[in-house]
Amino acid sequence: MHTGGHILDSFNDSLTEFKSTTLMMGSAALRNLDNSIRGLIERDKTLCNQAIAADDDEDLLELEVDRQGMAIMLKYRPVASDLRLVIATMKISSNFESASDLAVSIAKRSRKIIKGQEIPRVTAIEPLYELVSTMLKNAVTAYSDLDLNQAIALINQEEEVHKMHKKISRKFSREVENECPEYREYLNILFICRWLERIGELAIDIAEEVVFAASSEDIRHSDDIPSSVLEAAANQTNQA
Amino acid sequence: MVTPSTIDKLFNMDTLVKEPAAKATISDTPSTTPKTMDQHTQPSSAASTPSATETKPVIEIDNVSFSYDNGKTNTLRDISLDIAPKQVTAFIGPSGCGKSTLLRCLNRMNDLVETSMISHGEIRIMGQDIHAKDVSAIELRKQVGMVFQKYNPFPKSIYDNVAYGLRIQGIKNKSKLDEAVEKSLRGAALWDEVKDRLKTSALGLSGGQQQRLCIARTIAVQPKVILMDEPCSALDPIATAKVEQLIMDLRQDFTIVIVTHSMQQASRVSDRTAFFYLGELIEYDETNKIFTNPAEQRTEAYISGRFG
Ligand SMILES: Nc1ncnc2c1ncn2[C@@H]1O[C@H](COP(=O)(O)OP(=O)(O)OP(=O)(O)O)[C@@H](O)[C@H]1O
Ligand SMILES: [Mg+2]
Repeated sequence: MHTGGHILDSFNDSLTEFKSTTLMMGSAALRNLDNSIRGLIERDKTLCNQAIAADDDEDLLELEVDRQGMAIMLKYRPVASDLRLVIATMKISSNFESASDLAVSIAKRSRKIIKGQEIPRVTAIEPLYELVSTMLKNAVTAYSDLDLNQAIALINQEEEVHKMHKKISRKFSREVENECPEYREYLNILFICRWLERIGELAIDIAEEVVFAASSEDIRHSDDIPSSVLEAAANQTNQA
Repeated sequence: MVTPSTIDKLFNMDTLVKEPAAKATISDTPSTTPKTMDQHTQPSSAASTPSATETKPVIEIDNVSFSYDNGKTNTLRDISLDIAPKQVTAFIGPSGCGKSTLLRCLNRMNDLVETSMISHGEIRIMGQDIHAKDVSAIELRKQVGMVFQKYNPFPKSIYDNVAYGLRIQGIKNKSKLDEAVEKSLRGAALWDEVKDRLKTSALGLSGGQQQRLCIARTIAVQPKVILMDEPCSALDPIATAKVEQLIMDLRQDFTIVIVTHSMQQASRVSDRTAFFYLGELIEYDETNKIFTNPAEQRTEAYISGRFG
């Protein structure tokens, strides 16, 4: 729960650094996602290229998080909430890395799309993008504060993101089926829709790790959020 | 959350067992027949079937308060905990919180301090109140052996160290003694290292070997319970690993209570962990629970190094 308060200052410092490296990965993933979609909508190749180039940094940060996590395990033998934080963080960083990889896929595909002719209906993707981008942003802050309420809210958005994906992709597939002149472009946008949905799922995976770090309940692959987690979330609200 | 449908296709969900066979120790079948204390305490009680005695706690500490100064101040306050048979229980807590005191209560080692007393409560071992008038400390210590932090073999041969307790019990038959010495040294994972030098002085052994010799000496008299007070604190990592392996092996036959300052050691060797603070039992639970998600803030603060 708390990274402060250890007798060993260096333990506190290492945990703080470890967390902030991971948070940097989170904001980089967000920025890359942003650039890739804006590149598509604004037909700006530079933005796409930025998202693609920035992914190298994300890869390096992921290696750095793992290195730091291993050093913390080795030196301080974390237990209880510290142990859960270290384990959750290493998984969360890999989720951020995957999100950034998906942003690269989106950027590459966008670059291809904007080489072709203008597609009037491209802005239809915006609601899906906004939903997913907000989810990823919330995943970053839920992790930053180990906020159970925010994590639970994210997990509860699972259906929403699937529905939104279905709704938006239906619009684009209609264009493809109608064999409109830009049907190739719309086909590529369908891929992008799927990758956006996948980023939403990653945000939920991150939220599940936050729940583990903050409450010790492993809720992956389960249908309901256990009452102990809801209680812990209520406690967090009361303490705030 | 990912729906299980994809996994469903890959695995038959029924074969996925969530909990590995934990807590096997509780259901261990008895390998030894009930010993003197049982007979002593339950002369012919038909009510206690063998299975009932085996699953019953071996050690019951019942609201115990303990004083070193005739009850003026209590070093231990209102401690209650039960220890099941063939489990390893770790006592942890900051220096001076009373771990050794409680351990020494269990075989009445504190009797040596004249002004000491149990000011409240009762300790039962295999159902018997250990302070009852008809229980002698010597009888008790046959059932409750102890291994100390500072390994303390007698300045005698390796053989004589192990045979010591048996000879006190009046066993003189040489082949019987030979057999028991070998069995105990094997039990303490020391036989192969000393079998060719049994008649040489125990003091010529390395520290780790001396500590395992003390364990051999303790198990030679076949106690029910083995108490260990920081048994590895003077040992190097290899000797420590050997003693830890030994503790895990001994769990098959004995109930073990170990005081340790190493959180890693407690999480490796013990089934349950008790955390003490300022003479009180703060939390007592499965070791895994204590070290991944303790219920008490003070436990978490202590085990993760947050005490100021
Ligand atoms: N023989 C004794 N006479 C009087 N007081 C004692 C005696 N032995 C221990 N104490 C006191 O009882 C308290 C508990 O001591 P104990 O040795 O049980 O602590 P501990 O938890 O084992 O500590 P450590 O981790 O340092 O071994 C301490 O305040 C200690 O000073
Ligand atoms: Mg002690």
